[in-house]
Amino acid sequence: MIQFEKVSKVYQHNGNDLRAVDGVDFTVHKGEIFGVIGFSGAGKSTLIRLVNLLERPTEGRVLVNGEDLTQLPKPDLRKVRKRIGMIFQHFNLLESKTVHHNVAFPLSLSGTPKKEVDQRVNEILEFVGLSDKAKQYPEELSGGQKQRVGIARALATSPDILLCDEATSALDPETTKSILKLLQKVRDEYGITILMITHEMNVVREVCDRIAVMESGKVIEKGSIFDLFSNPQHPTTQNFVRTVMENDIPASILNGIEERGASRNIYRVTFVDESAGQPVLSQVAKKFDVEVNVLFGQITELQGIPFGHLVVELQGEDQEVLRVINHIQQTVSVQEVTSNAG
Amino acid sequence: MQVNLMDFWPRIWEATYQTLLMVGISLLAATLIGLPLGIILVVTRQGGLLENKPVFNAFSTVVNFFRSIPFIILLVAILPFTRFVVGSSIGTAAAVVPLVIFSAPYIARLVESSLLEVKPGVIEAAEAMGASPWQIIRRVYIPEGLSSIVLNLTIATIGLVGASAMAGFVGGGGLGDLAISYGYQRFETDIMIATVLLLVLIVQITQTIGNFASKKIRRQ
Repeated sequence: MIQFEKVSKVYQHNGNDLRAVDGVDFTVHKGEIFGVIGFSGAGKSTLIRLVNLLERPTEGRVLVNGEDLTQLPKPDLRKVRKRIGMIFQHFNLLESKTVHHNVAFPLSLSGTPKKEVDQRVNEILEFVGLSDKAKQYPEELSGGQKQRVGIARALATSPDILLCDEATSALDPETTKSILKLLQKVRDEYGITILMITHEMNVVREVCDRIAVMESGKVIEKGSIFDLFSNPQHPTTQNFVRTVMENDIPASILNGIEERGASRNIYRVTFVDESAGQPVLSQVAKKFDVEVNVLFGQITELQGIPFGHLVVELQGEDQEVLRVINHIQQTVSVQEVTSNAG
Repeated sequence: MQVNLMDFWPRIWEATYQTLLMVGISLLAATLIGLPLGIILVVTRQGGLLENKPVFNAFSTVVNFFRSIPFIILLVAILPFTRFVVGSSIGTAAAVVPLVIFSAPYIARLVESSLLEVKPGVIEAAEAMGASPWQIIRRVYIPEGLSSIVLNLTIATIGLVGASAMAGFVGGGGLGDLAISYGYQRFETDIMIATVLLLVLIVQITQTIGNFASKKIRRQ
């Protein structure tokens, strides 16, 4: 469990205060995968380093499993750090050491007997799927394999917490997916709490339970993936959501509607959960005297819950259309779409 | 009086031995001093592992001071110190003292630049794993920087071969001394060519060994 309590980190820059992290306040629960998303410079790199005290907070407190690490003397802090794994965007492996020795490194720091080290390293390399690469050097590996070594190294000391600092940002989409799968496996099999920072919305969508959106050092919005994706409040959040889910009706479709002078009866129908599985629109077409014309739509899955929306044109008498709306509002949410607004 | 090159070979071999001895001992001693100095310069600098401005400034100034003195001046200026250390101010042993003082600060800077090549992210990763500063120096900085350190020490060695030529001023002997006193001052061209060729050979061999060792270490 990680608790940020009104945490700020202030840097002095040319005599000015630069608030890299500004009054951040949230809790990451045990066994949760929590994502912090923000554009570069939002302060998320600083934020994640406040957890293992690579950066010290200027104000507020960060509690790791209920403990304020700033109060610890250095040797104790080092001990606690062994319980907090960390992986990095550029992997940060020892180039002069083999995969085996890289993974063994954190164990040998605390003087673990060689036999025990070897056993643990083999076990963990097996877990990340790199058993056959033990004797190779990092530069012989692909990016995805290097990150697997990074994960193996972070897990070697059996930590309770894993910090992921833009862990997939240097990887291609396919590799990103496989690394995210692995992180999920880390959480599911070891119950490790994962805090990840990223600027990629598809990353948090894929694995996170909850997310916080950061901008200018502040958390501007936080909640479950589902809430943030289905109902983003802050413009920045909306921008992020837009990077993975097209919400706007394409201009070509809007233009076409205007040309036909039928801009009045267009509705956005949002499906959530069970409603996504119901044949609402086809029922409407059968029950009422309207034609349903689907203009645009997207259905996706968020944390296993189907989510999506369709933009439909209802062709028919105004009164009939109103009856239709009243009817389908019982199962799905409906919004009228005007020609100048998505 | 002309000297027959063939009769002169024993002198050349002796000089070669003196050069190798001077360079070898100086290199060893200068590395023993320069390596820790270089490490101190890296870890105490701004943003370093054990950031400490006064310590960094003090060491940096001392290193710069010794690096700015021309070797021939240093050689003479520290004669009393040399006599204090080796008991004599002339001879091969006496030449080693100024060579060490000359090259240790140089090696410190070379080690510093080698260690600065180690990616900060790797250091940060080690810190995050709970490594102590000493563990980071011993198990990250040195092994990760070693390949580059070896290449840089090769440069320092070749610099030492050059500097050792001036050791003649304190009766240190060596190939350079021979080239100057016979070849240059007495116009014995063939002796000069022979000694210079030997120096070229020493430098070539040193560089080859250095390159090979550096490559080998990168993948131990």
